[in-house]
Amino acid sequence: MSSFNSLIDGFASALTLSNLGFGLLGTFLGTLVGVLPGIGPALAIALLLPITYTVSPASALIMFAAIYYGAMYGGSTTSILLNTPGESGSVITALEGNKMARRGRAGAALATAAIGSFVAGTIATAILAFTAPSIADMAIKVGAADYVALMLVAFTTVSSLLGASQIRGFIALAVGLVLGLIGADLQSGLSRLTFGNQAAVEGIETVPVIVSIFALGEALYIASRFKELGWNIIPMKGKALMTRDDWKRSWKPWLRGTALGFPLGVIPAGGSEVPTFLSYSVEKKLSKNPEEFGHGAIEGVAGPEAANNANAAGALVPLLALGLPTSATAAVILVAFQTYQIQPGPTLFLTNGALIWTLIASLFIGNALLLILNLPLVKLWVQLLKIPRPYLFAGIVTFAMLGAYALNASTFDVQVAIAIGIVGFLFRRFGMPITPLILGLILGPNLELQFRRALQISAGDYGTLWASPLSKVLYAVLILALFTPVITKVMKKVRKDAHA
Amino acid sequence: MGSLFLLGLIVFWDTARTELPAFNLTVSPKVFPYAIAMGLMVLSAILAIQILRGDVATPEGLESGDPIVKSDYKTFALVLVSLLAFLLLIERAGFVIAASVTFFGVTVAFDNKKHLRAALFGTLFITFIYFSFTRFLNVPLPAGIFKDLL
Repeated sequence: MSSFNSLIDGFASALTLSNLGFGLLGTFLGTLVGVLPGIGPALAIALLLPITYTVSPASALIMFAAIYYGAMYGGSTTSILLNTPGESGSVITALEGNKMARRGRAGAALATAAIGSFVAGTIATAILAFTAPSIADMAIKVGAADYVALMLVAFTTVSSLLGASQIRGFIALAVGLVLGLIGADLQSGLSRLTFGNQAAVEGIETVPVIVSIFALGEALYIASRFKELGWNIIPMKGKALMTRDDWKRSWKPWLRGTALGFPLGVIPAGGSEVPTFLSYSVEKKLSKNPEEFGHGAIEGVAGPEAANNANAAGALVPLLALGLPTSATAAVILVAFQTYQIQPGPTLFLTNGALIWTLIASLFIGNALLLILNLPLVKLWVQLLKIPRPYLFAGIVTFAMLGAYALNASTFDVQVAIAIGIVGFLFRRFGMPITPLILGLILGPNLELQFRRALQISAGDYGTLWASPLSKVLYAVLILALFTPVITKVMKKVRKDAHA
Repeated sequence: MGSLFLLGLIVFWDTARTELPAFNLTVSPKVFPYAIAMGLMVLSAILAIQILRGDVATPEGLESGDPIVKSDYKTFALVLVSLLAFLLLIERAGFVIAASVTFFGVTVAFDNKKHLRAALFGTLFITFIYFSFTRFLNVPLPAGIFKDLL
């Protein structure tokens, strides 16, 4: 029962005026970045990281989590009305959702997306509240060698599941690891890859890297290719409402989407892309009218939309309990924790219990706020898409430069940001996924630390790395993930079907 | 021709990248840089072989098999110049000027025809951002040449 009591306390502190205000601001910003194509939640949170200097940890983290959830809601709006996914978890929603909108059923599509997101988000947050502490309890026994195995599994799965080619995923990861190496080595104080640059000795700041790889990379990429493309918004008639039949067809996909999305967020499967793809193919198989798929089947919107929200909640489990991010957004939230000198991990519920329960309670509140923001106000959000693209990108770019500079008031960070922006452009141009790079950059130094720690304990005996039963299991999973990319095949098939 | 050029670019780009960690091999503590460098070199070699076999990269947002449009490097360069302008101006002229120049530069790059409107709007927007960050969020930004004014 103690979890339950802590949660009640959490609600009490989440409902204070300032925390509620930051939560509302977060849901608002999250929906905003979800709606606007080209900016995702990872970027939005990264841009706002400088506020961690002046705002209390609880308020900032509530806002960041609300942005994460909010983007999942907002992304569906753009997918349905524009056929341009606002973020990667909504790619699948565009398949059926946009077809529905073209047949004049935009309202129903938006409603099933928002209500499904709410149902999934609430269920998944409840599971999070009651599983994360017990996972953390178990994780206290996890040793340094097990952490090494765990991180290697995360690297492998994220690199091989994202994007079209496994090899490109691993190259992206390696580039991230190289960036993580830059600066003075934590244990020996030795400078690595600094080339005599004093500013580089302190290491590359993760914030400018994350901001610019998303924002500048995207802006440069769009500039080089798509500037001629305008947006073609499908007008929405009537209100975002569902008929009786829509409800009947939606509730099962919502629940199945939640069941798929949550566990795939907990294990490192590389974010919301895989569960939404899986949910879509499951719904297509189970549907009584599979011929409707490809022409606007409501199940194809309900399932994936529930899956991406449940996935966001699931991703918070390893983040809070193990300190292990499984998506780009979770990685940025990890950085936010670290700027407050809080290290997420097994001891987090003991050392910062009040903070975490406030955060979890605020997720429930945020979900309810998002439902209100998204259903009646959906037409307002659509207006946002009328911002001229030059202004939109100019704003994104200026904010990215501001974020890079403001953190340390240093021009070195701006130089890094521009260089990384070019890397981000090249990654997009040559089909390399971004998330493995972020993960490599953030987890690389941690991996090295745990690796050395394990070897120090064992006095240099490498056998310690696979001595424990847990690490043996993890390495088995790793090998499996490496050689049977089943899910990638499923995803490719869905993609093909969708285009056929 | 296009794909040949692309190929050369990727291979060149990979070689340039792999040089970095290789340089670090002699440096201690070297286990990690060494492992990463080895990994990168092996991976680039595999990628090079894949590309030679015809598995050309697919730009993001396209499906494999879609025709690859030639990149528009004029726009690209304009955005890049706007970024460099920020770097040069931020500490010399201050945030308001640096960011306004960047904002305007990007709107020009993205083919906005109404230059005067964009410049006006951008400057107003940036000034607003400047005040909200320095006054409300307490994030200091350089005032630059307006030091006495702001």
